[in-house]
Amino acid sequence: MVKFTRLALAVLTGLFAAPTLAEEVPILKIYTYDSFAAEWGPGPGLKAGFEAICGGCIVEWVATDSSIGALRRVQLEGETTEADLIVGLDTAIAGEARATGLFADHSLDLAALTLPEPWTDAQFVPFDYAHFAFVYDTDSVTTPPKSFEELIALPDDFKIVVQDPRSATPGLGLVLWIRAAYGDRAPEIWAGLKPHILTVTREWSESYNLFLEGEADMALSYSTSPAYHISAEGDDTIHAAMFDEGHLAQTEVAGILKSSDKQELAREFLAYLASAEGQKVIPTTNWMFPVIDLGADLDPAFATLPQPARTLTLTDAEIEANSQAWIDEMLAAVQ
Amino acid sequence: MLTLPHRPLRIAAAITLAAAIAALIALVLWAILAAATGSGSSASRIDIPHLLRMTSIQAGLTTVLSLAVGTALAWSLNRLRFPGRDLVVGLFASAIVTPGMVVAFGLLSIWGRNGWINQLSEALFGVSIGNPAFGLSGILFAHVILDGAFAARILLARLDAIPAARLKTGQSLGLTAWQRFAIIDWPTLRGTMPGLAAIIFLLAFTSFPIVLLLGGGPANQTLEVAIYAAVRQDFDLAGAVRLAATQIAVCSAVILAASAMGPIPTSLGTSAAPRWRDAAPARLLQALVLALCILGFALPLLSVLFDGLASGLGSLLARPAFWWAAASSLLIGAASAILTLVLAMLLAMGRGATADGPLRTLLGMPAYAYLAVPAIVLSLGFFLLVRQLGIAPATAAPFVVILANSLLALPFAMATLGPPLEAIARSRGKLIRSLGLSGWRQFAAVECPLLGRDIGVMLALAFCFSLGDLGVIALFGTQDFQTLPLMMFRALGSYRSNDASAIAAILLIGTIIAFVGLPRLVERIANAAR
Repeated sequence: MVKFTRLALAVLTGLFAAPTLAEEVPILKIYTYDSFAAEWGPGPGLKAGFEAICGGCIVEWVATDSSIGALRRVQLEGETTEADLIVGLDTAIAGEARATGLFADHSLDLAALTLPEPWTDAQFVPFDYAHFAFVYDTDSVTTPPKSFEELIALPDDFKIVVQDPRSATPGLGLVLWIRAAYGDRAPEIWAGLKPHILTVTREWSESYNLFLEGEADMALSYSTSPAYHISAEGDDTIHAAMFDEGHLAQTEVAGILKSSDKQELAREFLAYLASAEGQKVIPTTNWMFPVIDLGADLDPAFATLPQPARTLTLTDAEIEANSQAWIDEMLAAVQ
Repeated sequence: MLTLPHRPLRIAAAITLAAAIAALIALVLWAILAAATGSGSSASRIDIPHLLRMTSIQAGLTTVLSLAVGTALAWSLNRLRFPGRDLVVGLFASAIVTPGMVVAFGLLSIWGRNGWINQLSEALFGVSIGNPAFGLSGILFAHVILDGAFAARILLARLDAIPAARLKTGQSLGLTAWQRFAIIDWPTLRGTMPGLAAIIFLLAFTSFPIVLLLGGGPANQTLEVAIYAAVRQDFDLAGAVRLAATQIAVCSAVILAASAMGPIPTSLGTSAAPRWRDAAPARLLQALVLALCILGFALPLLSVLFDGLASGLGSLLARPAFWWAAASSLLIGAASAILTLVLAMLLAMGRGATADGPLRTLLGMPAYAYLAVPAIVLSLGFFLLVRQLGIAPATAAPFVVILANSLLALPFAMATLGPPLEAIARSRGKLIRSLGLSGWRQFAAVECPLLGRDIGVMLALAFCFSLGDLGVIALFGTQDFQTLPLMMFRALGSYRSNDASAIAAILLIGTIIAFVGLPRLVERIANAAR
């Protein structure tokens, strides 16, 4: 029966499968989230760029529905995973990813990177970042709040949309941001925000669209979100509100799986990803800041974006030990 | 009952299929449990009784409202004839298979703070109607749009199938509009109600993105969200299986209750030409119901069309990836529709061939498998199973989607095909026996032609479900395999909301075409075969 099933599958897949490739060429399999690998995402550009310099290799993106999905898949597959690399984890989950013991050291020198904080991670290589921020439309919001406390003090019909920290990375980011800014006062801040929260969506895209449709005054997103509207739509009315407390950054990272038999090639890919050539692809495809100074190669839309006065940080250990409790705290406060 | 033709083969086939579906679900859960060994089993932090209570209230209200609205709408559509009626029927039918997110955003662009109604009201009277689209009312509203329209489509098919002879008798007796509904329509509709109610309850019970989007957040949530969190956030697989088992148990209880209600024979016959018009007040009421429903149901969908066609359709159509995605969607849709037809026919024919109560319940249960098992659990389980078979997940993705979509459409297919098949067995059983027709002849000469339109509706349902759904291959990693909904969600995730709304509009158009065209086409083919 199994044999028959396999045969049937093999015959039928001919209909869908991409042309199979010759065995000799090394194939670098990279797990990522699906908008990264989408045709307008950074995936195709990075693939073309790296294949041009690796001397005969093929990059294959394997796109799951989210970065956490990619990590869970590797955890399920364990040692037998086909993945050589994961691209697109973020700093909030890096600690948990490291604890799985599945990732190898990158052993790259990353001193030249221009990140808000110096980079010291031995397993993960950063490739873009942005600060979590609330975005607003200057057409409808003339004086945006300048802190969480100002936001809380606004009338209740000033609405924000945020994401569920259990399903969306920015949602988790907000929980961490408020903790990093207010420590034990976090529940109080959440209780203050509650009347302003129009809804808590599962994904970033849902809340961002609610905001674009004019259903809410602000949405939790990234400080770089306005760059998309400026660069792709010529619309400069979307701004990120800068908060005096400072902002937490989301840094996206990539790592090599220990189980990969192409360690060297994978390392070359990471070096390319963090190089000027690789970084040039990122800003206008993933709409995040590059991790090195691109100078004139950076889309001018990014130059107009305000940088927060202060970047807040939490350590991996703090996040890993407390994120569960902090999420519960948030859920209890907005319930 | 003596009148049923003796069909042991049909019963055996249905039992085998039911067992296979049950085994598949068991395998899925087992695969996850096997993978969970070793993972720490933290105590579940979820207040299950509270969740169950909240969800049951919401789902119960949704069911009652949807059935009431669906009946009223089907009644109106059955009586009224006007230009564009087919299109309106297609539009209503397409609500159930449109991705929930699309309907929710359509709803908001009409009823939201910045929606058409508010803009109109502010322009005319200078006041805003506020924001009725959020909270429990928002959830119910969205659910009734999705489920009430679906109920109306199924009930309309039953009403349209009332034989001309019965209507003629009623007309000659001078029945009033109310008597006509109570004496002729209601007995026809009753047979479909328990199954419909169960489906709608389960849909509302397991609804997830809409509840989260419109519900205002964690205060209004379902068990499904807890399961999602257990798999995703906590990676607590054993906990996820426990929660899934809870959901399956609750859903099974609902299904059992629905199946326990005795089936009521439905009428069969060629659709009647609309010769009997109700009295003027009743017609006025029908027109009012229809107008209200169009305002409530069709406007949100129209706004989706409007937004999508206004924004960036050209650039989307110029992209080869779009055509590949559209072709995959069509292939997947067609394959799942055919598979669904086979599965539903086998189960419904087996069910119609026996009068044994428990056996009938047993054969009815597997149809609901996909509604009872959370999509994320299925996704995870399928992924693990496929790997254990030694197949690359990306290769298996299209087949998993086809199978999952068929399972998803199965309860709807059973609700469409089950009652008429049973009615045939009951009303024509004696004739079939006395003619000594074989099972195959019974199918080809009696059932197939009589079911033509229902098969068409069912195919359209299954086809469109699979056009709209892609939830199950979350983990499969599919770079080259992309369908329209997947493309839509990818576009939404990369700021490209224009592309996303254009795809949503195209999905909606495809759905409407399928609903208008397929029932007619199949009815014609089925009758030509005779």
